[in-house]
Amino acid sequence: MKTNFRSGLLKAITLTVIFYLSLNGILAMDMDLVKVKSLSGGWKFSIGEQDAWTSPGYNDSGWDVIQVPSPWEEQGFHGYNGFGFYRKSFTISAEYKDKNLYLFLGYIDDVDETYLNGYKIGSTGSMPPKYVTAYNAKRVYRITKEMLNFNGPNVLAVKVYDSYDAGGIVSGEVGLYLNLKEIPLEISLEGQWKFQPGDALARKSPSFDDSKWKSIIVPGKWEDQGYRDYDGYAWYRKSFTYKGSIKEETSILYLGKIDDVDEVYINGTKVGMTADHFGQEGQKIPTGAHYQALRGYYFSTSLLKPDQKNTISIRVYDSGGEGGIYEGPVGIISQTKYIQYWRDRKKQYR
Amino acid sequence: MNIRFITILLMIVGIQNFSAAEDLRKIVSLSGYWKFSVGDRKSFAEPGYNDGNWDNIKVPGQWEQQGYNEYNGFAWYRTNFTIQPVGAKGPVYLLLGKIDDVDEVFLNGKKIGSGGHMPPDYKTAYNINRKYIVPEEYLNFNGNNTLAVRVYDCYLGGGIIEGPIGIYTDDDYNLLNYDLSGKWKFHLGDNKQWKEKNYNDELWPSIRVPAEWEQEGFSNYDGYAWYRKDFKVPAGLKGNTLYLIMGKIDDYDYVYINGQPLGTVFDLDKDNEYKRRGFEYNARRIYKIPTGMLKMNEVNTIAVRVYDSQLRGGIYQGPIGLMTEENCRLYRKKHYSNQSFWDFVIEGIFVD
Repeated sequence: MKTNFRSGLLKAITLTVIFYLSLNGILAMDMDLVKVKSLSGGWKFSIGEQDAWTSPGYNDSGWDVIQVPSPWEEQGFHGYNGFGFYRKSFTISAEYKDKNLYLFLGYIDDVDETYLNGYKIGSTGSMPPKYVTAYNAKRVYRITKEMLNFNGPNVLAVKVYDSYDAGGIVSGEVGLYLNLKEIPLEISLEGQWKFQPGDALARKSPSFDDSKWKSIIVPGKWEDQGYRDYDGYAWYRKSFTYKGSIKEETSILYLGKIDDVDEVYINGTKVGMTADHFGQEGQKIPTGAHYQALRGYYFSTSLLKPDQKNTISIRVYDSGGEGGIYEGPVGIISQTKYIQYWRDRKKQYR
Repeated sequence: MNIRFITILLMIVGIQNFSAAEDLRKIVSLSGYWKFSVGDRKSFAEPGYNDGNWDNIKVPGQWEQQGYNEYNGFAWYRTNFTIQPVGAKGPVYLLLGKIDDVDEVFLNGKKIGSGGHMPPDYKTAYNINRKYIVPEEYLNFNGNNTLAVRVYDCYLGGGIIEGPIGIYTDDDYNLLNYDLSGKWKFHLGDNKQWKEKNYNDELWPSIRVPAEWEQEGFSNYDGYAWYRKDFKVPAGLKGNTLYLIMGKIDDYDYVYINGQPLGTVFDLDKDNEYKRRGFEYNARRIYKIPTGMLKMNEVNTIAVRVYDSQLRGGIYQGPIGLMTEENCRLYRKKHYSNQSFWDFVIEGIFVD
């Protein structure tokens, strides 16, 4: 059944319910995480908060060292409530260059915003003044590999707000993880895309000039990448060279989740949409539960031109709140492997 | 269908008891476990396709609740059945209940119907009860039949999700003294000449009657269209007062026999039928044929001018044919006696 939750309030309630459900198993069903790098132990720590502290180049040598995971109130900050900042430098082996990694931060009391090398990779709960705790939520944030530095240090920065009691990154096997159940995409399309707010159908064409557009990391909410409070239309474009690796008639363009609705073109040909309809340029359209839907668009592999530039264009409309291609993974898979992936998921469900 | 019913629907959701619009009788039940696979290949429609390694899934039911949580996109359902020769008058129907969002149905490899619109220009039909005419010539009465349903789901629940699933006949057809369902000539547009007996409609395309014209390839058409059919009155009916039964038509109709006006939905109150503005699509078309209008030993021509204001259109529900006065009385009694206005409204909304 379809229901149009048009009001922002209902959407917020739904988000909250989905969020809590995800804590208790749904998320676990689609993930089989194995640790590849532990990040527990000493982290740099300071109370307070400054925007500069998210930057990888910030000099935190004067900060305290605190054990993670552990409440800050048990490590010399007894009675402190408010903002605290954690920073951790780590290296990662190049063997994970083609893998999709997850950062697991366990439980954080109460709210966090997490940055990797300056990119915001996730947040849970809501910071003041609209404070909402998420002390009982597991933090699992997907890392797009383009954000990682395989030849040198990487810096994690976690901004935490605690309203009372424990405070901080309090428990869990903190570290980097691989998801063994991740969909085995054959062509990854994550990383830098071109991005432009507004709406114009000419943007679907492969010959459209997007050289003046800004870059954005996909997947990721646009609010986290310089478009705070932006609602409405925006277009994403990605050009890539296809090596002719898929020998099947039908493939699937997998996009994870998009907030709210989208219309997708490969080399100018529409391959699908998740929306009740798309109208004229810039037209407001109703949105409902679309932002929760996994996108897997079937298309004829012959739309891709081997050894040439291929362009994917995605028209996105966000009716409010967060927006963009926010979850991933993003890429292309042949139909046989896609069918197998869903059959395997079903077997695990039993 | 008129948009104001949606408002009324919202007013009365929760009412579960409603009378059947037709007198459908199940001859094969198809609920239960079907073969199921995600994906989309043309070969999945073929009766000989080996679906042995496919999953089993309960129909009706959402696939999300049967191990395919979060799956959106294409999936196929397949099942096999046997059937005895139908032996009943009138069309044979396949009922698939509600399908979320879009479907295409193949019987023994031949497409028999579709609902909604497949991507990339996807259009949902998730709240439409699927009812497809099964051409009897596609059925195998001496062995196995294979039904394959291609489904596309855009978001939220997906699949063949609810409703009675099976093969049905319509007992109303047993009251017909002469059955006029089946192939008619059909033309979009409007032209007064098209009522004339001697108008040459040879080049017109054929359409199945009854059926929504959206299901017959004229999707999203609103406006005027004409239906025509030639027939001879069986000798056995000579001397009887006859009624032309045109089932139900969405929205308005003007019926002619041999170029002469026979009736329109706007006259039906004269025959004590329901006549309420906005409910025309749900009125049973029962037209008394004046003496002398039908020619007994030659070809007669029925021409029906139909206007559809929006959504579903056409001569969409049977029975279609001639009845004697006695059978017509039985037909009226069956559907209209002791029926309140609200039953009528509910019938129109819930059983399409």
